[in-house]
Amino acid sequence: MQDVTAFPAGTAAAEGLASCHVCYKLAPVALRECPRCGSALHLRSPDSLQRTVALLITASLLYIPANVLPIMTTDQLGNEIESTIMGGVVLLIQMGSIPVAAVIFIASVLVPLGKLFALSWLCWSVSRRHRTSLRERTVLYRATEFVGRWSMTDVFVVTILVALIHFGGLLRITAGVASIAFGGVVIVTMLAAESFDPRLIWDHRGDDDD
Amino acid sequence: MSPERCACIHCDLPLTIGELRGGQRAFCPRCGSLISSCTRDALQRALAFAAAAIVLLILSNAFPFLSLKAKGLESVMTIPATAVELHRDGYTTLAVLVLGVIVAIPAAILAVVLALVVPLLRRQKVPWLVPAGRLLFQLSPWSMVEVFVIGVIVSLVKIHHMATVVIGLSFWSYVGFSLCFAATLASLDRLQVWREIEACRT
Repeated sequence: MQDVTAFPAGTAAAEGLASCHVCYKLAPVALRECPRCGSALHLRSPDSLQRTVALLITASLLYIPANVLPIMTTDQLGNEIESTIMGGVVLLIQMGSIPVAAVIFIASVLVPLGKLFALSWLCWSVSRRHRTSLRERTVLYRATEFVGRWSMTDVFVVTILVALIHFGGLLRITAGVASIAFGGVVIVTMLAAESFDPRLIWDHRGDDDD
Repeated sequence: MSPERCACIHCDLPLTIGELRGGQRAFCPRCGSLISSCTRDALQRALAFAAAAIVLLILSNAFPFLSLKAKGLESVMTIPATAVELHRDGYTTLAVLVLGVIVAIPAAILAVVLALVVPLLRRQKVPWLVPAGRLLFQLSPWSMVEVFVIGVIVSLVKIHHMATVVIGLSFWSYVGFSLCFAATLASLDRLQVWREIEACRT
């Protein structure tokens, strides 16, 4: 894809110019290195789709243990109760804390799933050279990039509860395996969003649409 | 600063960015993404907020964050102890991850901001301007300071019915830190910072 003629008019790449991914300087790609910060210049991020798809598969695999295995264990007088992410949401609803249940449900269930679906769809639509809803897909990408970090909320909640609730044999909370898996899902989906190059969406723009 | 030719990082539309004044932002006319935003006295502002954030971050690691009182027993939590507790349970990876995104990476970002902004303000041609600029924007997506604050609030709701929760000095320091930290990053726009670095080196 480093062939300048492969890019449609209305892109810097068609003029042989590349934006530096570090400092945003626009420079001729023939220079190979950014004249301002010295980073390597590419018209598009190298192997963007392959990297993104590989990371999406990793995240999807991690998503299974993150939801099936317990995220924390409550030990009350030797009585151990394990709870999963969805179990925690249900418990919050039963306690009557609907807004907090909603925060956890959105951050831990909807956002990671939404990110996986959104990025998969973006990769698929780019590989199938879709020519429609260019702006909408770019906005979807920006939303995916923006919400990524907020899924860590539940991992932080577990961390705080573990650190705060340890009353010897009376009451103790320990972290569960799902907390690592879930942390992994968040990190890997953030890397996936970072490796996807949204300019690919605009590269198959036909002459008939804008 | 003089107008500069650049391209939208989301749709690759070639653009010419004119001079931005304080408070102005430039968006891509085709895909709507933010190209650059200009804060009045950006470097001075970043320096002031970063200095305040460093003090508050130190304070938030030095005192009790939250404590819990139930049936005559008391359990105190500090931020460093959080990682120790996870490590003791065998979750060292999680301990490193959590402490990394809420303390270590934000602290590194603040150190980089100082190392970058002070020479830029004094027009000193120090050799680390470019690596510091690069590090600043590579690290910034990985700090989760404000997410942790939300996590704390959710935890408070979860436990307030089972015991008396006492909010410690460190909690307020960390909330203050999160605000100053956000203000530091908000005043450092990538395009503007790199133009300052370029101007300082020539």
